[in-house]
Amino acid sequence: MAHQGQHLPASSIRRWLTTTDHKDVGILYLVTSLYFLIVGGTLALLFRFQLADPAIKLLNPQQFNQAVSMHGLIMILFVISPLAFALANYVVPLQIGARDLAFPRLNALSYWLYLFGGVLTLISFFQDSAIDAGWTMYAPLTTSRFSPYVGVNTGGLGLALLTASVTVSTVNFVVTIFRSRAQGLTIRRMPLFTFSVLLTVLMMLYAFPPLLAGIILLASDRLLGTVYLSSPEGGSLLWDHVFWFFGHPEVYIVLFPALGAMAEIIQASTRRHLYGRTAVMAAMTIVAVLSFLVWGHHMFNTGISQDIRRVFTITTIAISIPFDAIILSYIYSLAKGKIRVSTPLLFAVGSIGVFIVGGITGVFLGSNALDYILRGTYFVVAHFHYTMVGGGLLGLIAGLYYWYPKMTGRMFDEKLGRIHFVTAIIGYNLLYFPLFLAWQTPRRVPIYQPELLPYHQLATIGGLIFGLSFLIMFWNFLYSLRNGSPAGSNPWDAFTLEWATESPPPPGNFPAIPSFAGGKLAFVSMNGAHSHLAEATHHSIYPFAVSLGAFLSLAGLTVHNALLIPGLIVFALSVVGWARERFIAHEEPFGERWPFEKIDRVKLGWWTFIASEVTLFGVLISAYLFVRSASSSWPAPGEMLDIWHGATNTFILLTSSLTVVLALASARADKRSLTAGFLGATLLLGLAFLFNKYNEWRELFEHGITFSSSLPASTFFLTTGVHGAHVTAGLLALIYLIYRAAKGHYGKDNWEAIEYFGYYWHFVDIVWVFLFPLFYLI
Amino acid sequence: MVSTTAEAVYSLFDTFLTLGTIVFFVVLGYMLYHLIKHVRAKEVKGRDVELGELPTSEGFPYRLLISIALSATIVTTLIFSTFSTLAYLETPPADALEIRVTAFQWGWEFTYPNGKTVLGEARVPIDRPIKFYVTSRDVFHKFGVLSLGIGIDAVPGKINTYWTVIRVPGTYEVRCFELCGTGHGVMTGRIVAVTEQEFKAWYEGGG
Repeated sequence: MAHQGQHLPASSIRRWLTTTDHKDVGILYLVTSLYFLIVGGTLALLFRFQLADPAIKLLNPQQFNQAVSMHGLIMILFVISPLAFALANYVVPLQIGARDLAFPRLNALSYWLYLFGGVLTLISFFQDSAIDAGWTMYAPLTTSRFSPYVGVNTGGLGLALLTASVTVSTVNFVVTIFRSRAQGLTIRRMPLFTFSVLLTVLMMLYAFPPLLAGIILLASDRLLGTVYLSSPEGGSLLWDHVFWFFGHPEVYIVLFPALGAMAEIIQASTRRHLYGRTAVMAAMTIVAVLSFLVWGHHMFNTGISQDIRRVFTITTIAISIPFDAIILSYIYSLAKGKIRVSTPLLFAVGSIGVFIVGGITGVFLGSNALDYILRGTYFVVAHFHYTMVGGGLLGLIAGLYYWYPKMTGRMFDEKLGRIHFVTAIIGYNLLYFPLFLAWQTPRRVPIYQPELLPYHQLATIGGLIFGLSFLIMFWNFLYSLRNGSPAGSNPWDAFTLEWATESPPPPGNFPAIPSFAGGKLAFVSMNGAHSHLAEATHHSIYPFAVSLGAFLSLAGLTVHNALLIPGLIVFALSVVGWARERFIAHEEPFGERWPFEKIDRVKLGWWTFIASEVTLFGVLISAYLFVRSASSSWPAPGEMLDIWHGATNTFILLTSSLTVVLALASARADKRSLTAGFLGATLLLGLAFLFNKYNEWRELFEHGITFSSSLPASTFFLTTGVHGAHVTAGLLALIYLIYRAAKGHYGKDNWEAIEYFGYYWHFVDIVWVFLFPLFYLI
Repeated sequence: MVSTTAEAVYSLFDTFLTLGTIVFFVVLGYMLYHLIKHVRAKEVKGRDVELGELPTSEGFPYRLLISIALSATIVTTLIFSTFSTLAYLETPPADALEIRVTAFQWGWEFTYPNGKTVLGEARVPIDRPIKFYVTSRDVFHKFGVLSLGIGIDAVPGKINTYWTVIRVPGTYEVRCFELCGTGHGVMTGRIVAVTEQEFKAWYEGGG
């Protein structure tokens, strides 16, 4: 087939820089996340060595704080989640019978943004200081008054790139899983790993915009001088709410793909469907929803009201019930058929075993009364390592062993795999269980009570064993790449779709189109789809180039300002190149698309993206309402802001929505010059909005009202500033549309781009409709 | 127990620990038993699922329902025992000795009702309710005296309270339990509990 020839050989660097094939991107994610595992693990060993004896002075206090903070951030955001997405990238399209993700170039973009986000975050180590206030980055310790380091800015921007990466891949996976399933593969029949990934990305959709909002608040305080986090009215509690609204769902975000992988492994090892499969799917869904209603248990001691604490005690303890259902279903499934023991199964069972400890101790922390003493101690450290490393990382390692034959076409060495399992599980428990016994140790301190010394020494020995055990895995995987016995298509006798194609699968994944329409798997011929497929492209340099541009621009802000201009140029040119590149993504001609049969791929992508934007503005507006309600006084309407500026801008922006609607109508009526005219009118209105805003800000500055004047000023400038940035981004896209419209590009056969732009533009207008009364009228 | 709060919190902890340990061993034991049994099994019920076979409608998971009912019972017990402990912890008596605790980078300042202010070491009477009003001068800290069952966040701009009655004279270590900068590890203090007479002598004297 023609598209097969388009893959460059694996030894070609160009292939890896330009690939958009989900399997290649999966491998890139895998290698990068394992690299960060080594970085995060090395940081952990550094402070674990220091903790072996308080007399050891390996790191000074500042270095110690950097090590613990960056260890947490790297492990959670740059290791466990991307490792899960390595597996998801590789496996999800195969499991649902798709040829690729819905947006292959966006998938590559997600990867490169992740890599460059990670690089930027690591660069901060070589500046004055990396992030040093814990992975939770509690305010006001992170404000420039207490942490006056450039490196912290760099790290924050690295995290911002990561949130961009996550948003893009969220959109991609939501659209793929909803729109690219093989015929007959309804949501309820979907493989459990894919189902867990679907819930994961839906949680990401609502959890990561709050993190981005938090980073925006922090960056704005540090770089522009706003006073969100340094004021007592905002400060600690504002950050706590925003961060944990992201932070607690994030715990389940790193856990769910591992739970999905374990389910697949148990099913393959017993050759039975999971016991209570529907109940497990229901329980996972309940957890995903509840995950947004438990964040307050991280704030039990902060002085939030009694009633709220009681509600969060109930929700947090109650979330253990659906988890019980999931884990017990897994255990009951083991009692269903004959079990074939393999390295993946051992890791899955080991993961369940230690996760039970993590789950039970989590109930302790859901109890407000116990949290008075447990919060901030090693009890918390031990607990979340039992869940995140035990449930999350070990579950994903199980998945990695399970899908390794599919990815490489070779079996790994089973004996080495089992040796890895035994050393890892011994090292693991030797590392983390003593931390429960040494629970009185405060978190993130190099000094503790002398009677706790033996426990910390045991933990250090365990950490060394656990860390080194991964060398066995690396060796095994590298050695077996060439020397492993051929795996064949289905080495585990599993029954999900990814095992019905070669290992590794060819470009395009399946020799024919898989379908479950008849109740079980059949391959139907590709009549008609053939010509379409042959055109499918797999290579584009633009995802890499756009990310590089973004990376250089951000590095230009905090590392060296000579990078800024080249970065912006690379970014702008590659965005234009991307838009003009002829790239054909293949969507299956038929498939299961409930509930989005009527909404096309790109439209669903836009809606998903806008959902994440709604959350972002929702958090920014909530932050404004939070600090306003905590403030004893606030300027009356018209006192600080001129209502007329706001009213004029409301009028201008609403009119511009109308002109976009007219542009779309003209295009659909094939009136090409009228289309260009209405788009031009929209641009003029947008510019008028920005000009009016410029005048408003200039007048405020002239009256001495700046970013740092007060909370009313800070919240106004930041919230409407982020909105103004959205308007500006819209206008830049609009210039491109006008250029194309002027050449007669849009007509009755080609108007979708204007429709998609319209969604974004109307959304930006609607945000203003909320901002105007909130800031000017009340 | 050395204090009323230690008594309340640690007995609740024991309830959680007892139930948690039982659940852990039952579940783990059940899993290992079936694991070993089904690894060794020669004959098992049902047939192997074939490649590409979709999940069929399954029977109602009764075992799961019973397990969920059991864990719901345990969970409800734990929630109610938490609430009763909370009700006690959150009802300070009216006649408590009120001490203001101000955390700062990196130390503790204690201010008494008569204005007496000490750094690092607070002297308090035994057998008398003491109420701490905890705040911070700079960043987020946590005021924790684990041996007395005391722990509450010190948040800038906020005053959080916690109360206790100490039963046993002695010196109890105060530590900070929220990362607060390079001095976090050495941000310690002491609560020295003495008899009422000794306290009075110290409090009303110059010292």
